This record gives sequence, structure tokens and C-alpha cells, in this order.
Amino acid sequence: MLNDLLTAFQAVATVENFLIMAAGIWGGVIIGAIPGMTGTMAVTLALPFTFYMEPIPSILLLVALYKGSTYGGSVSAILIKTPGTASAACTTLDGYPLARQGKAGKALNMALYSSCTGDFISNISLIFIAAPLAMLALRIGPPEYFMLMVFALTTVAGVSGRSLLLGLVAACLGLLLATVGEDMYGSFRFDMTVEMRDGLSVAPVLIGLFAIPELLKLVVFRHAGAKTALELGDNRVTRAELRRSLKSLFKGSLIGVVMGAIPGIGPSAAAFSSYGEAQRTSKNHANFGKGEIEGIAASESANNGCCGSTMIPLLALGIPGDVITGVMLGAFMIHGLTPGPMLFEENLNEVYMLFIGMLFSSIMLFGAGKATMRFFTHISRIPPGLMAPIVLILCLFGIFAIANSMYDVIVLLAMGVFGFLMFLFAIPAAPFLIAFILGPMLEENLRRALAISRGDPSILVSSPITWLFAALAVFVVAVTIRRQLKKASA
Amino acid sequence: MGLVRGITVTAFFGIVLFVLIPVYVPRPNFIPGFAPPPDMWPRAISILGMGLGLLLAALSLSRKPQADTDPEDAGAIRDGTPLGTLVLRFVYAVLAFAGFIVAVHFVGFIVASIALLFAMLLLTGQWQRKGTVVLVALILPLVLYLFFSSALNTRFPAGSLATILGL
Amino acid sequence: MKRALSLAAATLLVTCAAQAQDYPSESITLVVPYGPGGASDLAGRALTEAAGNFLDEPMTVANTPGSGGMTGARKVSTADPDGHTLLLARVGMALLPAVTNDPSVDWDEYTFLGSLEATPMILAVAEDSPYESAEELLEGIENNPGELSYAASGATAIDGFTVQTLLSDAGMDPLSAATLVPYKGGGALASALLGGHVDFLAISAASLMPHIESGDMRPLMVYSPERMEALPEVPTAEEQGYELAGQVIGWSALYGPPDLPEAVVDTWDEVLDQVADSETWLSRAEDRGSISTIGDVDMTTYAEEQYNFYRELAEKFGYLQ
Repeated sequence: MLNDLLTAFQAVATVENFLIMAAGIWGGVIIGAIPGMTGTMAVTLALPFTFYMEPIPSILLLVALYKGSTYGGSVSAILIKTPGTASAACTTLDGYPLARQGKAGKALNMALYSSCTGDFISNISLIFIAAPLAMLALRIGPPEYFMLMVFALTTVAGVSGRSLLLGLVAACLGLLLATVGEDMYGSFRFDMTVEMRDGLSVAPVLIGLFAIPELLKLVVFRHAGAKTALELGDNRVTRAELRRSLKSLFKGSLIGVVMGAIPGIGPSAAAFSSYGEAQRTSKNHANFGKGEIEGIAASESANNGCCGSTMIPLLALGIPGDVITGVMLGAFMIHGLTPGPMLFEENLNEVYMLFIGMLFSSIMLFGAGKATMRFFTHISRIPPGLMAPIVLILCLFGIFAIANSMYDVIVLLAMGVFGFLMFLFAIPAAPFLIAFILGPMLEENLRRALAISRGDPSILVSSPITWLFAALAVFVVAVTIRRQLKKASA
Repeated sequence: MGLVRGITVTAFFGIVLFVLIPVYVPRPNFIPGFAPPPDMWPRAISILGMGLGLLLAALSLSRKPQADTDPEDAGAIRDGTPLGTLVLRFVYAVLAFAGFIVAVHFVGFIVASIALLFAMLLLTGQWQRKGTVVLVALILPLVLYLFFSSALNTRFPAGSLATILGL
Repeated sequence: MKRALSLAAATLLVTCAAQAQDYPSESITLVVPYGPGGASDLAGRALTEAAGNFLDEPMTVANTPGSGGMTGARKVSTADPDGHTLLLARVGMALLPAVTNDPSVDWDEYTFLGSLEATPMILAVAEDSPYESAEELLEGIENNPGELSYAASGATAIDGFTVQTLLSDAGMDPLSAATLVPYKGGGALASALLGGHVDFLAISAASLMPHIESGDMRPLMVYSPERMEALPEVPTAEEQGYELAGQVIGWSALYGPPDLPEAVVDTWDEVLDQVADSETWLSRAEDRGSISTIGDVDMTTYAEEQYNFYRELAEKFGYLQ
């Protein structure tokens, strides 16, 4: 194997490939950082170009864009409280408070270190334990998915802020709004207009919920924050901070690797779970949500930790786990390569070239992150009163362009007003978003499991994997209740 | 506020449960009897939501209000501005959004977004910097338009006015 | 402000440049009503690549997924009939209106520019399944009513009808003899079978071929007019005497908004003729395991036949009251 890797290394290490990857990473970081433009958009945008490239560079370009945009999502999450991608939603919770304290550079640095570490660990797992992870992924059936999602949903408790009750209300709202549109059997729910049959997409809801309430706050209250720019002070991550974040960082990477390898789960669920886990077990749990650097480490290591392992089901089984790997599958097929078990037998050299290229791209991500950071931190100097309307326009164009749909733009604006009303009632946005993203997976797998078992609910606790996640979820709920009681009595 | 919030939440989920679900969530006749129908999940959530809403309302009556306040809280940043002004500003913003959606049909996406950006910059109180405001409001939408239409081939709505004028 | 308006007007001028000129006068958008990377998307991209050589303007793909493809379909059906917005239609454009009473776009609210390709479907079980042929599988279903489950995109989706027609041909109740478990997308469907969560499925060949080649799945039957080149020993549904199942197949076609001008239709007749023989198109079709059908069928008649076929099925199976 080592010999093969070495041969592949020589084949990959060309100036041309490096330029392609560097362009992909840079492009990805910038696109991911602009609110309203998503990694999916970046990958779709690049797809036509890949038709005219060699197979391996074209896949590397797509991978680079994916990784870059996943990191880039944290930049806008930290600087303007608008996650560039859904998986950066938890980064907002601690990143933005840090930026408000004048520590934007510190937060960005931590996000970059965590992203690169998660990414690197993920690539290593892809290379060495792809086969067992792929087998594990196949074992995950509807009941296991359901329990896994129940566990992921317990993160709601961690991101509820002051009141668990309000967090649960937000989660219910998120679960309910996620049911709009076509259900798994093909019937339509809440289709008050024909457009509503399409349901609510994640991108407009995400942006509407985070970016637009900020703007409306400025419009309605015109509070002091509107005119003053932020000072950039503390930029470095100290050694002590890094050391205390290490545990969350590695745990986050592992959560990312495992969840990324299971098709259909994706970086958002991984980042939420990792954040919830870090918040429960950290010594500084009280500081989470107020600008805790460890929270950024947990969230960002997990979402980039998915980037490499999400290729596992794609390469080993030929099964794309999300839209981005779906586009990559298309790129493989265009070049006459069919991902799946046969790929490792017939095109082993190409596979190894891809692996080596991905390892390089982790390092390049670090370089690109460092290089763009100076520029990005200047953004937080633009006064919010000017920035927020600019963000709105960016979102309008970006959201329209995703599906060429005016309906999505209406959803964006309506969600914005809804999000502002939630703010007025002090109902937190993060649990809403988590429930909104996890809700469909939760419901569909519940209904799928019950269809398979012909209505027998015992299928939900029928395998060791389901016991594990059920036990974890019960444990988390118990810990949360104990903490709430303590807080109430204190 | 706690009581109002509890009642609003209860009312929201109640409307969904008793009005929207019966009308807009049909039970198709071909789903096998043992598989949960489409309305199972929304009903369960709405009932849970109503329960939580009632709990919120009840707690607001029985207990002292939450002790620790959030620095980002609406009450904290309100800063003594009269309620009428606040409501008026909110209405302006919502009208601007609605106006944008309507305007896209007539004058197209670019002109409408220039107008919206201009309105928003005024509403956030940026008018002291007239130069910047005008410059940003004009240039940004055009740059974005050129970027999206050339890179992604997005075709933004041109509006019926353009068609009428024979463009 | 005045300058801004004239600038904006100038930009508008460019975008809506006179339509009276020769077609195409600007880039053509091919709406693919499903997500990027899937079988339809690849078909659309292959078409734009091949047709681009024979058109004066570039042709680009815009993915507009949602509502089983009807979102994109509605968008094209209501677009300006200038030939610059076209639709990569799939079997769903005739099937979905047939199985609902209030379709958002009816089967004939288009201009039919031509058929593109036929995409075979395969009935498959996992490699460790006891069933060696379609007949054995049907026997197994009959002996354990409702016990066996199959994965499909939905009850009234094309890959649901593949199984239901087969059950109906075998004299069983198409809705309850086997249990449908809905999954979204070819990848998820295939992994449900690979992971042993369902017992069988019948979905598009492109999603199954890698697993059949690797030996993880066993093909029992193909839904195609003739045997597939890659699977010469697997019989077709027609050969096996399944009357309804023999008529189920996936296809792609090129549609435009209703009432396209004569000139546009003529241009596309010519372009599609050239595409039919082009190396790019044929090799891309082969890579995806589909059969080019450009020029083989009259699309208007075919779409109507397909609609009527699924309409009858829907009435027979009880989807329509």
C-alpha cells in the first residue's frame, strides 16, 4: 500500500494540480464566507469546468471547494452572526460574542485550527479505515438513524441559553416548519399556495433566521451597536486556550468522521452533536454561548471532520450522502469512473491519487485561511448599520440564484420577520434551526422504521446501535434536567 | 411579557392543530394502515408545542421573572425609545420587504433591490454618510447582478415594465 | 439617481434583447427539475454539451429540484415562449399529472420538442437473498402477504410503479402485497437494499449497475424493450410475460413552454438530428446505461400514451377516486 501511495504521490504532485486545488480552496473559502452563497453553489458552479479536465484534478477541485466553503461558513458566522453554511450555525453562538468582544481574530484562528485538524483526521480515516466505516454506515437502518437523530436533537438543550423551556418551544417551531411541503409518501402538507409544495429550503430559512433579525434589530432599536465599528484587539489563540480545547477538538473530529461516513446525515448534524457534547462535558460549560473558544473548536472540527469521511460512502459504496457528493458522483461518471466497490479494484491508482491530493488540500486550507483572515477581519470594522443592509442584498441575490426562485426570496424575508418576532419573545434561534434540519430525518426514519416493522414500535430499540444512542439520549436528558433543577434551586 | 408569550405560543400551535392540519394535511387513502399517516408528526409536534405554551404561561404567573438578563435582549437595547416609534419602524421595514417582493414583478430584480437597499440604509440611520449610501446602494446590486448572470447564468426577473417598454 | 436608472435600464436592455432576432439570440437555459449529480442532471448536461456544438449560443443547465420535478416543470411551462427556457422532461412529467387530480402542470402544458433517451430499470435483490428469479420473488411475496418490503421514491413514483405493476400482473393487490418503504434518491434506495433494510427494489439501472457489477446485488429482471447490453442473461419484463410491467420504463425528453414559435421548433428538429449522431451524446448515454431515442418516437403521441397508461394504472390501483 505504501508503495502505491508513493507512486500516486508522484503523479499528484504537479504544479498544475496544486494550482487547481489552491484555486478551489480560495474560491471555496470566499464563497462560503459570503452569506447567501453556499458550498453546494460553489460545487455546482465548478461542475461544467470539470468536464474538460482530467478526472483526478476535477474531483480534487470539487473537494477543495467543499472544504474551503465549509471553513468559509465559519467566517461570516463569527464576523456578522450569519452562518455562511448551516453547519456553522453553532459557531455563531460563541464566535459572534467573541467578535463583539474584539476577539474576532482569535475566533477565526481557532476556527481555522479546528477546521484543519478535523479535516486532516477525516482524510486519514478515509485512507485507512474507509472499509469498516462503510460497513458500519450500511448497518445504519431507519431505526438506527432515528435514534441517532434523537441523540443529535438533545443538543437543543445545550443551545437553549437561559431557558430550556424556550429552547424546546423553538425546537417545536423548527420541527413544525420542516414538515411544510411534500412528505415521503408524496402527499403535500400545508400547501396553502402551489409554491409551498416545495417546502422551505434550508438556505433561506438559515439566512432569514440569523441575518435578517440582526438587520431588523438595527432598524427598530437603532441601538448603540449600529454606528460603532468593532475594535480588533486580541488575535492570537494562546497555548492555554488551545490546550483546554484539545479534548473537544479531537472529540469533534471523531464525531465528524463517524457522522460524515453515514450517508444522509451531513456536517450540520455532526457540528450540532459535537457542540452539544462539548458543552455538556466542558469545565467551562457556563461560558458556552457567551464567547467560549472551546465551542468554536467543537463545532468547526466536527463540520470539517465530515469533509473527508463523506467521501467514504461515495467511494466505497457509490452512494452520495448529500448534494455535494451527489455532484461529485456526477463528475466521476462523466469521466467514466464509477465509484463503488469496483473502483478500488479497477482504479486503485486514481483512488490513491485522490487520497494524496486530499491530504495536501488540508494543508492548503490552512494557508488559504491564514491568508484571507487579515482581509476578513477588516469586515468587522464596517459598522453594522452599513453592513446589515449589504448582507441583506447579498442574501437576496444568492438565495434567488440557488434555485432561480422568487419563492425562496419570499421565504427568506418572511423567515426574517418571523425570526425577529422570535427574538422579541426571547425564543432562541439556534434550537429552531437544529430542529428544522434534523426534523425531516427524524420523522422520515420513524415512519420508515414503522413501515418496515408493520407498525410495531419495538423496532426502534431492536439493535445494539439503537440501544447505544437511546442510552446516550436518556443520559443527556437526565443531566440536563439535573442542571435545570440545580439552577432553579440556586 | 411572559404571559403574552405563553398565550401566543399556545395560540400558534392551537391554530396549526385545529385549523391548518385538518384543512391542509390530507390523509391519502393508499398509505397502508400500519404506516403512520402524514398528519401524525405535525399533530404530535403541535400538541407538544401547545403544552409548552401553556407551561410558559403558567410559569409566568407563578414564578419570579427570569433573573439573569441577556445583554442582547430586546428590553436591554430598547434604550427608552417610545413603543410607538418602535412599532412604526418595524412596520416600515416590513413594508419595505413587501414592497420589494411586489416591485420585482414590475421593475425587475435589480431596480427593486437597489430601492430596498436604499430604504434599508436609510432605516438603519445611515443618512449622515450620503455619499457612501448612494454609492453602495447603486453599485452593489449591479456588481452582484453581473456576477451571478455571468458566472451562474442566473436570469433575474426583468419585470413587466421592461416588457411593456419593449425592451 | 437618474444615472442609476439609466444604467439599470441599460442592463435590462441587454438582458431582454430583442426577441425578434434569429433564434437563439441569447444563452439557452435548460431547466433540470431534479438536483445536481443525479441521472436527470447528467442527461441534461450531456445534452447541453452535445447541443452546444450545433447552436450559436451556449446552453446551460439550471437545477430546479422540488415536488418530484414539478417545480422545474412549472417554471418552464409558465416561462416566456421564446425558446430560451427549456425543460429536461422525465417520465414524471407525464406520470405525476396522471396520478393526481390537481396537478400543478398538466402533461400537455408544453411544446414537445423531441424524445432523448430511454433509461432501463432493474428489479434486484441483495446478493444473499434466496430469490433467484422474478417468479421466485413473486412466489415469496404471495406466500408472505405484506411481509416483504421494497424501497421506492414514493407510492406514485416511477420506481413504485415498477413493483406495483409487477404485483398486479401476478394477480396480487399492488398496494398491500408487499410493503413500500419510501427513500429519497437513487443512492439512498440502493443503500437500503445493500444494508438489508428492504428485501427488493426496482429502480433505474444507473443507480444499481455498480453494485451488480461488484456482485453485491442480483438482477432478476430488466424493464426495457430489449435486454441490456451489460446484462445479456437477465430477461426483460416483456419476455417474462408481465403485461403492465413490460410497459414501464424511464425516459428523458426535451420540452419547451406551450406555443413555441415555429422557428424554434424547426431549429430544435435540426439540432436534435445532429445530436443523435454526435459522439459526445452517444458515449455519454452509454456511460449512464441509457439508450438514445432521439428521432425514434413522436414525442407528443408518446407523452399522451404514457399519460393515459399511468392514468389507467392510477385508477386501477385506487390512487384516484
